[in-house]
Amino acid sequence: MTSTTDPVRADRDNQKLGGPDATSKPRVHRRGALEYVAWAACALVAFGVIRTLLTNENYQWDVVAQYVTAETVLRGLVMTVVLTILCMTFGALLGLFVAVLRVSPLRPVRILAGAYVTFFRGTPVLVQLIFWFNIAALYPNLAIGIPFTDVSQDIDVNRLISATTAAVIGLSLNQAAYQAEIFRGGFASVDKGQIEAADSLGMSRGTKLRRIIVPQSMPTIVPATGNQFIGMFKETSLVSVLGVGELLMSVQLIYARTYQTIPLLIVACLWYLFMTLLLSYPQSQIEKKFSRTRARVSNDPAPGLTQTELMGEAK
Amino acid sequence: MSQMNGEGTVHARGLRKSFGDRVVLDSIDLDVACGEIVCIIGPSGSGKSTLLRCIDGLEEIDRGVLRVNGEDLGFRETPTSYQALKRKEVAAQRTRIGMVFQSFNLFPNMTAQENVMSGPVLVKGAPKAESRRRADALLTSVGLHGHGDHYPWQLSGGQQQRVAIARSLAMDPQVMLFDEPTSALDPERVGEVLAVMKDLAQRGMTMLIATHEMGFAREVADTVIFMDGGLVVEQGKPADVLGNPQEPRTCKFLESVL
Ligand SMILES: Nc1ncnc2c1ncn2[C@@H]1O[C@H](COP(=O)(O)OP(=O)(O)OP(=O)(O)O)[C@@H](O)[C@H]1O
Ligand SMILES: [Mg+2]
Repeated sequence: MTSTTDPVRADRDNQKLGGPDATSKPRVHRRGALEYVAWAACALVAFGVIRTLLTNENYQWDVVAQYVTAETVLRGLVMTVVLTILCMTFGALLGLFVAVLRVSPLRPVRILAGAYVTFFRGTPVLVQLIFWFNIAALYPNLAIGIPFTDVSQDIDVNRLISATTAAVIGLSLNQAAYQAEIFRGGFASVDKGQIEAADSLGMSRGTKLRRIIVPQSMPTIVPATGNQFIGMFKETSLVSVLGVGELLMSVQLIYARTYQTIPLLIVACLWYLFMTLLLSYPQSQIEKKFSRTRARVSNDPAPGLTQTELMGEAK
Repeated sequence: MSQMNGEGTVHARGLRKSFGDRVVLDSIDLDVACGEIVCIIGPSGSGKSTLLRCIDGLEEIDRGVLRVNGEDLGFRETPTSYQALKRKEVAAQRTRIGMVFQSFNLFPNMTAQENVMSGPVLVKGAPKAESRRRADALLTSVGLHGHGDHYPWQLSGGQQQRVAIARSLAMDPQVMLFDEPTSALDPERVGEVLAVMKDLAQRGMTMLIATHEMGFAREVADTVIFMDGGLVVEQGKPADVLGNPQEPRTCKFLESVL
């Protein structure tokens, strides 16, 4: 009875076009004209860029090739990498500390930590760097001693704060402020029910932070920190103004001598780009992994994925 | 224990709790004896959760007396006032009160076994090996033998809630609070959690349970409390409150749920 009144079947029977059965026809989307236009525009731009790169002799690709692995440049690159790692490490540790202070039960501590973040995020990092470089003008002598005794040791701040120390201090302190915000956002992403469950068991603040809040905020913190790392890699170029021999400074030293400014800047850019691309692969893997974990850092059962993934950062 | 006689009891007199200007609990009087099973029923927003949260110390009361396990909760009485206890002292009180949440709130970064161990190990500093054995025994007692290495997301809602009960029990609480423990569960999973709770009731645990499961209340409760608008409207034996309610508001509520 149903088969004779089935409207779809009737429709198919009516179809005398000789094509395949209606249930097995592929579904096709036609590409819009706009897409072809976009492709054409894209090709045009690419052509223009490539052509000027190849035909404009001022690029001096031979000079680029000559210097791209020059010893001075490579030494600068190493300095850049070392600075990045140092500043990110100090910045992350100090940032975690500041973030913990920001959730302190003591209001003055919270205010102090908040002021730190406001100051360092509210002023240009370049200015901060120059400031640290010239800190000796503010405190020419640093007296380290035991309070209320005569035992003390004067230190010449000018000698203590070399360009490199100023760079590490400046970038780390600045990074710490941003990192503190990342940690704070991560802490805030932890479900309130988790804190209540921990409280209900009588967990202390420290234990709660270490065992519940920090592990569960990793899915937000780690990808954001990865981005900061890539950002820091480029940000180190700022310390060239202090005369620190990192990548940008190295090429500047060379072109100050040879006047081949553009090709040497290209050398620097190529290295920055290369390193950034190198870092962006692990970064995308981290983001992928944590976006999956993120979905699971809730109590809702989700269909199977391996347990080891969840363990990774949490422990 | 210094106050053996008060263990497993809850007493409230004139308890009041407000959020801003909104009074959510008003002049609540409550007496729960050791081993008593109390079911709290009432419409949404009547203050059931807030009452349980106050008893667990998750919310601070504005006024009145609240004594759990024979001690003033979170405060020490002085001739003129109640002085807030130190964080540590409050934490110690909380270890003797277990709370089971509607949304389970298992720690997703820990396995079922680690969840159950978390209280003894992280709070009481109990040795790990012993706590692990104890956790396995508790998981077995809630019907989850062999599920110890599962993460919360690998368990069904009913299983998660049973792990949550085991986690609370691992602290050896003298009072257990349940805030709508089966409301977030699929209907076919409700029974397994209620069975665990029944078992617990039979073993003499003092329990306060906010619930919409009238059948369970009728069967297991010693006392049923009907709340509405932050007040205890009616309380008594389940047969009386559920079977022969005196207050019009209770009648109306029971009609709406049955
Ligand atoms: N943190 C809070 N801030 C402000 N108001 C709150 C807060 N928690 C609860 N309330 C209010 O207190 C009243 C009682 O809430 P409560 O959650 O205790 O009700 P309930 O009886 O548990 O309801 P349900 O059956 O929906 O769980 C509600 O009106 C609610 O809006
Ligand atoms: Mg509720």
